[in-house]
Amino acid sequence: MLPQSNMELIQNLLQFIGVFVSFSVAYVAYRGVKQTESSSLLRLATAFVFLGFGFLVEGLVGLGQIFPNEPILTTEVVIGGLLLETTGYFFLAFSHVVDVLLSKRLGAALLVFPVITLTSTQLADVLSILSFYFVLYGVVETVYSYARTRKPDTLLIAMGLSLIGVGTFLQWLSLLYQYVGVLSLLQIILQEMGLVILFTPVLRFAAGGVKVNGPV
Amino acid sequence: MAQYRTQVRIIADVLSTARDQNTEGTGVGVTTLLRKGNMSYTRMTKLLSELVGSGLLLELDGEKISKYMISQKGIEFLTAYYSFEDFAQSFGLRL
Repeated sequence: MLPQSNMELIQNLLQFIGVFVSFSVAYVAYRGVKQTESSSLLRLATAFVFLGFGFLVEGLVGLGQIFPNEPILTTEVVIGGLLLETTGYFFLAFSHVVDVLLSKRLGAALLVFPVITLTSTQLADVLSILSFYFVLYGVVETVYSYARTRKPDTLLIAMGLSLIGVGTFLQWLSLLYQYVGVLSLLQIILQEMGLVILFTPVLRFAAGGVKVNGPV
Repeated sequence: MAQYRTQVRIIADVLSTARDQNTEGTGVGVTTLLRKGNMSYTRMTKLLSELVGSGLLLELDGEKISKYMISQKGIEFLTAYYSFEDFAQSFGLRL
């Protein structure tokens, strides 16, 4: 079993991988916005900017725990990081909601509304469970999109989002039942695995090498 | 069920028609663009003047009617469009 400090170090390193992946996806989406003025890509870029900053804040808070002489550890900052992350997942789900509404397909959109009544007043719990709902909705819509396009990349992204979804669920459980150790490490590993899968389209895009500059 | 097309998708459709139907190199008429673009004449002429204004299409003045040809900038736009469409589709989204 790893000592607590080593486990926290691993968790933080993984958070920074999340920062890199999120900002990479946001960068490609933003380039797409500049070149095609697509609102879908704008929402995608916004989602991953929020996720990137969320992971960054959480990573920095973790570093504060490892180096207690650098006091960046406050409850407000932790909540702020979670809020950024939840906002990111919200924009990801929102992109799908808009897509659904534009195509006048309302079935799966109902899933965006929570089916569990939240009684907890703890803000971190609420944010984690909201993240879970948003990711779950993203998974449903991405799978639906795969059924329509039969594009292997879309299925891969659905798998990545599923891992992130399980991760956010574990995050909620670890907050609720205070299983700080293994559960929270497992949560970050699953989330980061999911995020690394989300990096696949960025790699494919980079391999394709679009060389257009300037807006339309 | 008819599928909703975003503005950027409509632009890409018009540009790809102007590229693919220009087999003789003399440009493509509005009728062809209308048939393939599936939109009203008024909307199409407005869109065409915007695309010519932004340099994505070239307007060739014929004896009777204007014809349109995709420009180099238009070809680059289409290349970028298809790449980003692929990227967005990976996330289950439409461009």
